[in-house]
Amino acid sequence: MQRKKINVWPYLLISPALIIIFTVVFVPAVNAILMSFQNYDLRRPKSIGFIGLDNYLAVLHDPLFWQSLWKTVQWVVLGVGFQFVFGFGLALLLNKKFFGRGIARSVSLIPWVTPGVLIGLMWRWIYDGNYGVLNDILLKFGIISEKIPFLAQQATAFPAVIVTIIWQGIPFFALMILAGLQGIPGELYDAADVDGANGFQKLFRITIPSLKNIIFITTMLRIIWVANSVDIIFNLTEGGPAYSTQTLSVFVFNKGNSLNLGYASTMSIMLTLVLLLVAILYLKNIFKNQEE
Amino acid sequence: MKKIVVFFLVFTMFVILSAAGFAQSNPVTVTHWYWADNPTYSATMQEMAADFNATNGKNITVVAEEYPWDGGAYSETLFRVVMGGGGPDTSSAKLTSTPLFNANGLLANLDEYIANWQDKDKIEDSLYNTMKDGSGTDSIYLMPWNTQVLYVYYRPSMFKEVGILVPKTYNEFLEACKKLSRDTNGDGVTDVYGFGMRGAKGGHEPWGSFIWARGGNFKDFTSAEAVAGMQDFVDIFKNGYVPPTATMDGYQEIIANFKLGKTAMTVHHIGSSPGMIETFGDDVDAFPFPGGMGQWTSMGDTENVMLESCENKDAAFEWLSYLATGKGQETWCTVTGNVPVSKTVQQLPVFQNSKFMKVSIEGAPFSGIYPILDTTTEWISTIWPNTVAAALMGQITAADAMKQLQTGLYGK
Repeated sequence: MQRKKINVWPYLLISPALIIIFTVVFVPAVNAILMSFQNYDLRRPKSIGFIGLDNYLAVLHDPLFWQSLWKTVQWVVLGVGFQFVFGFGLALLLNKKFFGRGIARSVSLIPWVTPGVLIGLMWRWIYDGNYGVLNDILLKFGIISEKIPFLAQQATAFPAVIVTIIWQGIPFFALMILAGLQGIPGELYDAADVDGANGFQKLFRITIPSLKNIIFITTMLRIIWVANSVDIIFNLTEGGPAYSTQTLSVFVFNKGNSLNLGYASTMSIMLTLVLLLVAILYLKNIFKNQEE
Repeated sequence: MKKIVVFFLVFTMFVILSAAGFAQSNPVTVTHWYWADNPTYSATMQEMAADFNATNGKNITVVAEEYPWDGGAYSETLFRVVMGGGGPDTSSAKLTSTPLFNANGLLANLDEYIANWQDKDKIEDSLYNTMKDGSGTDSIYLMPWNTQVLYVYYRPSMFKEVGILVPKTYNEFLEACKKLSRDTNGDGVTDVYGFGMRGAKGGHEPWGSFIWARGGNFKDFTSAEAVAGMQDFVDIFKNGYVPPTATMDGYQEIIANFKLGKTAMTVHHIGSSPGMIETFGDDVDAFPFPGGMGQWTSMGDTENVMLESCENKDAAFEWLSYLATGKGQETWCTVTGNVPVSKTVQQLPVFQNSKFMKVSIEGAPFSGIYPILDTTTEWISTIWPNTVAAALMGQITAADAMKQLQTGLYGK
C-alpha cells in the first residue's frame, strides 16, 4: 500500500506566522496566567512564589476592581454605542453625492488615524480648565458663565474621556459601514421606490438588514478594542481624579507600573474572561458566515 | 650575552608600552540615561557629554540618552528595561527608587570606587550617609549629584497690591493665600488665586509642608496634627484660594499658572528660577515654606547610579566623577540653578550671589525626604493623587484620606 505523500509547503509557509504568534501572544499569555497564581511583586523579589487563588480572592474583595469594572461597562456601552450611531449617520452622509465628497471622506478619517497618545494630549488641552478652547467657546456663546475644570472634577471627567473615545471611533464605523453601503444593490431601493416605501422603511427594511454582518463584526471588534484601550484615558487623566476615570485596563496598567505583576495579571485574566464572551460571539459569527 | 639581555629589555619595554598604548586607545562607550526639565537642560547634558568625551583622555565616549521624568515614571521605565536585560551603564536616579533596584541586585556597589577616589572629600560626609540610609545598607550605591530644596515662589507686585508682607509663619501663609485670591477684572469671578496647588502626581512634596506645619509627620498620617494639615489643604481648595483645576494640576500646570499670573504663589525648587526670571525679571522672589508647630520642606535629590550590568565600570566611574565634582557639576548646576554637592563648586560666585540659592540654603536645615519603602513609588504615583483628589472634591473627609494614605504607605 502506498503511503499518502505529505505536502510540507503549507506548514513551512505558515510557520513564521505561527512562531511569531507563539512568541509574542501565546508565551506572554501563559506567563500572565502563571503570574496570576503567584505573589509576583518585583518590589519584593524574595517573596515571589505560588499563592494559589489568593490574588483572585484579593481582586474580588477589592472595591476599586468593582468600581473599575463598572466604569469599563459604561466606557464600552456609551463609547461604542455613540460611535456606532454617529458613525452610521456619517456613513449615510458620505454615501450621498455632493461636491467635495472625496475630501470629506478623507478628512473624516483624521480622528481614526491619529495616534491615541496624541489624541489624549490634544483633548487634554481642549478640556483644560484654565486655557482650554472648549471653555473659551462655551463662554463666548454665553453657555457657561465660569470656566469648567472638565478633567479635574468627578462629574465631568468621565463624560469628557467618553466623548474623546467617541470622537476617535466614529470614522472606523463610518468607513466600514460606508463600504457595506456601497455593496447594496441599487435595484433594491428602486424596487422599494416603486412600492412607495419611505426613507425610514428603506433604512430599516433594506439598509440595516443588508449591513447586519458588518455592524455585528465592527461592533464586536470595537467593544474588545475599547475595553482594552489605555492610551487615551492615561494621557487625559491617568485614571483620576479620585479614580473616577479608571477603567479596568487603566487599573491593570497602573498596577503593572507599580510592579505588582501578579495582581495586575489576575485582573487582566478577569478582563479577558469578560471579553471572551464577546470574542466567542464574534468568532461564531465569522464561522457561520464562512459556512454560508 | 649582553646583546641578548639588551634585546630582552627592549622587547619587554616594547610589549609594556604597546599594552599601555593599547589600553589607552582602546575605546570604551558608556551609555548614560538622564531626564531634563526643558530643552536647555537637554542641550546642556549633551554638551557635557561632548566635553567629557573630548577631555577625559582615556578614550571614553559617553552616549547620553534622554528619557522623560514623567512625574517619576522614569524610574519605573529604567527598572523595567534593566530587568529585561537592557538599559544603560549609568543613569540619573532618585533615592526613593533605591530599595527597588537594590532588592533586585541591579546597582553596582560604589564603596571601593569612592574609598579610592581623590575627590572624595569634596562632598559632605552627611550626603554619603544619606546615600547609605536611602539604600538601607552600609554601602553607597548612588553618587551624589545635586539637590533641590523646595520653597515658595511669589510675585512681589501682587503682595504689594493687596498690602501684605512675606509670610513668616504658617498662619500668615494661609492668610496670604486668602488675600491674594482676587477678582481683578470685576466680573465677579476669581481670576487670580493665592496659591498654585499641585494635586496631581508629585504634589505630595509641597503637601508635606502643610502636614508638618500643623505638627504632623510622615510616621503617622492619622495623628490629629497631620489631619489638621490635610484639612488646611482641603480648605484652601474649597474656599477657592487655588485654581479649581488643582486636582489634576501637575508640574507643567502650576508653572504655567504662575507664569501667566493666574497664581500669586507656588512651590517648586530652584530649577524653575531661570524661567521665572526670564518671565518676570525682578517681579519674582522666593521664601522658605513657613513653619508653624513644625517646619518641613522637600529635599529633591538627584543622584547618578552605575548599573551592575555595566561592563566598563572604571570608565563609568570616571563619568560619574565628572558629574559629581568635575566640570559637569559646575556646568549642570550653573545652568539648572540646582544646589551643587561639590563644596568647591558651591563656593563659586554664581552660586553665592543668587537670591534663590540663598532661599534654598535657608530651607536646607528643615528639608527632608519621604520614608523610602518599597511602597513609596506606588504611593506617590497613584495612591496620593487619587486619595487627595477624593478629599479635595469632598468625597471623603480629611481624616479618612489620611487613614487611606497611612494604609497605602505602611500597609496598616
